[in-house]
Amino acid sequence: MAMTMSGEVQLNAPREEVYKKLNDPEVLKACIPGCEQLDKLSDTEFQATSTMKVGPVKARWKGKVTLSDLDPPNGYKISGEGEGGVAGFAKGGAAVALSEKDGGTLLSYNVEAQIGGKLAQLGQRLIAGAAKKMADDFFDKFAKSVNPAA
Amino acid sequence: MYAFTYHRATGLRHAANLLEKLEDPKILAGGQTLLPTMKQRLASPTNLIDLDKVEGMSEITAAGRSVTIGALTRHNDVHKSPIVQQAIPALAYLAGLIGDPAVRHRGTIGGSVANNDPNADYPAACLALGATIVTNKRKIAADEFFKGLFETALEPNEIITKITFPVPKKAGYYKFRNQASRFALVGVFVAKRPSEIRVAVTGAGSSGVFRVPSFEEALKKRFSPKSLEGLTIPADGMASDIHGSAEYRAHLVNVCARRAVAAADEKTPAE
Repeated sequence: MAMTMSGEVQLNAPREEVYKKLNDPEVLKACIPGCEQLDKLSDTEFQATSTMKVGPVKARWKGKVTLSDLDPPNGYKISGEGEGGVAGFAKGGAAVALSEKDGGTLLSYNVEAQIGGKLAQLGQRLIAGAAKKMADDFFDKFAKSVNPAA
Repeated sequence: MYAFTYHRATGLRHAANLLEKLEDPKILAGGQTLLPTMKQRLASPTNLIDLDKVEGMSEITAAGRSVTIGALTRHNDVHKSPIVQQAIPALAYLAGLIGDPAVRHRGTIGGSVANNDPNADYPAACLALGATIVTNKRKIAADEFFKGLFETALEPNEIITKITFPVPKKAGYYKFRNQASRFALVGVFVAKRPSEIRVAVTGAGSSGVFRVPSFEEALKKRFSPKSLEGLTIPADGMASDIHGSAEYRAHLVNVCARRAVAAADEKTPAE
């Protein structure tokens, strides 16, 4: 099953700086929910291990995080793909756009996610809520890493 | 299921010690969510700590203007309790609507509240009645307890021991249930308390149980289903899935709230 969601965050920093942080593995690792490990394979590819916990469900994922459509400092696309063993698979991406606003940067995102396998069949009534929470978590943490005071 | 180690706690302190000490532990308090999840291999805790044989955690007592229910009390025992039926009939009625007979005879109130499933019934009752969730470490007001989808204020090593419900002047619950799962597609608990009126909604919100201030305001003027006519809540923030769209759920919140108010005005809740 697939789902989409979008949102925006106002950041108190210039676009160039925001864009740099979006490409920083340390920042990404801190922002990806449940991320335990993020190893750089190349400038645009990372190997990730993360644990996803939604209520009683707890699954460990291994997968790849890829950055594409790089257009500094206007935005890029971040996508991830993972296998959670018997739990199923998940893949998704977020198109991130940066624009100048009120002396800072407005970050807007469009997330598209797909999940399959057992997780999709059983978790149907929970997936949309869980995916939204994860996207919110990611951009919340990212906003905090850009504006530590906020 | 994957292999795990089963521990039968002999007392609350024993359970708390195990929870502190063991690696990747999980509390078993009835197991009506956890065990099916484990069977599907969607969770694989290393250590299960069963509270089933812990004494003194499944008592129901009335004191002054409140009813206290032990965390390990089965849904069926809440449903059949003369104390609950007399003091807060809507709560006894709600417990009888949970799941199926097997779930009601094994599942516990503490387990349900700790799990905070966005479609579960008890969170709506706790929030509307202004319950206090008591753990082995502290007391938490329901307003502070439910933190969104499956999230609660509980610390990883904290165990719910009992829940105290203040007795309302009147209360009603109406549940529009999913016919297959018996979960609330939308459930609304309305409580008229000495100091305020509360309307708590489960099943509808994409991040769990929530209150509806506009409905509460309208009911304060006059506690009647008519007071809610024409009021709507935005579909934004409602859950949406194959069972119902966000708009459908938003619509149902009003329908269920009116029926809950009507039920609160009856002596015995409608079956």
